[in-house]
Amino acid sequence: MIEFLGTQRTLAGADSIEMPIITRSRVDDVLEYVRNKYPQLKLDKDTALVVVNQQLASRDQVLKADDIISFLPFISGG
Amino acid sequence: MEIVRQIKYKPARVAGGYTDRLLKIDLGSREIAVEKLAPDFKDKYTGGRGYALKAIWDGTTGDTRYDSPENILVMASGPLGNEPGFPGTGKFIVGTISPMTGTFIDSNVGGHFGPLLKLAGFDALAVTGISKEEVVILIDGDARTIAIAAAPQYDKETDDGALSFGDRLLKDINDGQYSDCLAAVSAGKGALHARYGLIHSLYYDIRRRRIRAKQAGRGGTGTVMRAKGLKSIVVRSSLSKANGNNPVDKKGVRAAGRAMKQVINKADPTQLHLSAWGTTILSEYMDKFHIFPVDNYQYGQSPDSAKLFAHVFLDNYFSKRIPDGCYYGCNLACAKGAENVELTRGPAAGRKVSIDGPEYETVGAVACMGIFDPQYVMEYNWYCDQYGIDVISTGVTIAFFMECFERGYLSVDDTGYELKFGSIAAADRCLHETAGGRGFGKIAGQGVARGKKWVAKKYAARNKASQDEVIAELNKFGMEVKGLEFSMYITKESLAQQGGYGLALKGPQHDEAWLIFIDQVYQELPTLEDKAAALKWFPLIRTWFNATGLCKLHWIDVRNPEAAATDEPSKNLPTLAHYIDYLNATTGSRKSLQDILDDSERLYILQKLINLRQGKGTRASDQIPLRAMAPAFFNEYQSRAEYYDLWLGQNGGVKKLPASPKQRHKLLIERRKRDYQQLCDAVYEKKGFTPEGIPGREIVARFGLLDEKAKRLLDEMGD
Repeated sequence: MIEFLGTQRTLAGADSIEMPIITRSRVDDVLEYVRNKYPQLKLDKDTALVVVNQQLASRDQVLKADDIISFLPFISGG
Repeated sequence: MEIVRQIKYKPARVAGGYTDRLLKIDLGSREIAVEKLAPDFKDKYTGGRGYALKAIWDGTTGDTRYDSPENILVMASGPLGNEPGFPGTGKFIVGTISPMTGTFIDSNVGGHFGPLLKLAGFDALAVTGISKEEVVILIDGDARTIAIAAAPQYDKETDDGALSFGDRLLKDINDGQYSDCLAAVSAGKGALHARYGLIHSLYYDIRRRRIRAKQAGRGGTGTVMRAKGLKSIVVRSSLSKANGNNPVDKKGVRAAGRAMKQVINKADPTQLHLSAWGTTILSEYMDKFHIFPVDNYQYGQSPDSAKLFAHVFLDNYFSKRIPDGCYYGCNLACAKGAENVELTRGPAAGRKVSIDGPEYETVGAVACMGIFDPQYVMEYNWYCDQYGIDVISTGVTIAFFMECFERGYLSVDDTGYELKFGSIAAADRCLHETAGGRGFGKIAGQGVARGKKWVAKKYAARNKASQDEVIAELNKFGMEVKGLEFSMYITKESLAQQGGYGLALKGPQHDEAWLIFIDQVYQELPTLEDKAAALKWFPLIRTWFNATGLCKLHWIDVRNPEAAATDEPSKNLPTLAHYIDYLNATTGSRKSLQDILDDSERLYILQKLINLRQGKGTRASDQIPLRAMAPAFFNEYQSRAEYYDLWLGQNGGVKKLPASPKQRHKLLIERRKRDYQQLCDAVYEKKGFTPEGIPGREIVARFGLLDEKAKRLLDEMGD
């Protein structure tokens, strides 16, 4: 499941979407999928932070069917 | 208005960000003096926090308390605090000896007061003494007068309110008209009764056509103000705010400002989007990563949290499409507000009011009391502002007593009512009683540190128990360090942020170091050495912002895309380069990043010396409650048992987990306590401190701070 947080939810018009996971889908594949489907999110392919099950994920991490994926902005406190 | 003392003066012109003038007002003797600062003073103390620290170091002693006549209430902007061409200026610092901690506190605040004080001729204002009658101070750069006047009396409701009194005064002294040539600070009725009274910075917002308020919220600065008999200070200047710092190199300032505004315009909409949502956007991310301080920081998430997410406030309360910067030229514009909100509770029920906020911290404070009602967030926000009390300390203190009640340390006999998590009626009653100094509110107004002692005494007497043993239990979940309540982030899962709070010189407020995401989520600080280095670097750079009159959010919460290509993206160095350009163009200096870190380290060491002198400077004062480092009670462990068991194996070095969950919880606590002590050791070493947290004499000397007082102090400390 791909979960949209904060501003992303408004821009995507959805709380979450399902993406079909094919064999050995990787984080990069998800990022590309979302970038194409929701260009308005402006997810930068070089700098976007991708989190899988609340853990920061590398781009080549292989995904499982029940993984929850989200994209984080930079948060560094006021 | 009855003027009790007035002087004429010639406002000094701002040049390169400074006027080199300090305004000193003694409310006891009613002396008003304009002091010319030595030419090298600014080189050593920069401005803002630096000027406040120097005043407190020189003018107070270890015996000075918040309500001592010699305590000084300092308000100071910095050399960069007045430039509409650069985003995020207008900030100033309120510094003093705190009623909460007994040592130096400062709180940074936006609005127009700092810039107008500078245009009226002053880098800083220092108020001492205690007036027998309630007074206001009027600084009029146009009329070239400075006056102490008897506080005007309107009607009780207006006079009691920090918002209403300041609002009325600003209009009253300007022939019934609001103007952005005037600004004020004010403190309210709550500051007479609670130790955590705040100071509002009030300014006229030409877009909303009303007076707005930002807060110097932490540490009881408003309580100090009212203890001095001072209700408000108004400053006026009609000088142009454009090029307000009168920079040495105007073109350089414009170029730096343009570059920064481009970064904000490009990056903020694709990141947190603070310009649209304000800081309430943080609630969802904090909840997602178990950082939202639910039920007195027991749980980082709640199924009800979504009721308090940003879209709720945006859809139902915030005025949309109004650029809401708290000073001119800010394109981050995060100071959200709401109009015509009808109050449903409290003495003003039925009234429609304008509300500045809520900020994330207000939302977190309400969740801390286990309440997830956005309407109550709005009303809590307004009442705290009108009473003039800190939303953070108020919420954390009430939440602490709620937990005391639920764990059986308090009963209805003590409080007068059922004080339970999630009860709006109970929280609301406690809020109003606190501000009015009535009933159990008299105790709640003292804050968590003093509240622990009161509860322990009551409980021990009732149960024939040892007070020390009760205190030890209360220390597990009384969320304060050095006497100041935690701000609204759970630190259990970020060792770096445990240090960010515990080692913060003023107490656990996040403006010294906020490392949770860098550490816990982005995993950019994997080793103890990394965490210690961050706990040296971030407080220093953040100190610089507090010394120069700048907002930090543009640097820290909007990541410059170019930072990705740097070795340490979290430092956002490409953006910092624009700040250094702005500094050098304004003051004519040629400083590097290392130079400004050195300038900040001088201030940091001076603040550490003050803490040592006030008895809050050693390792013992840097210790944090158990709940800040681990699940303090078994119910907290159970709520994330799988995660904690995994942590024990992966991070705790445990090869074989104990069989029983209670044993695993106990082992987790042991490991977390060990880790925190190791962190303290590493950070002290990195900063050149002894294992007791005392700065080495050579460091104090290196920054030119080893005067006779410092020598004696370090002698007493055995250094």
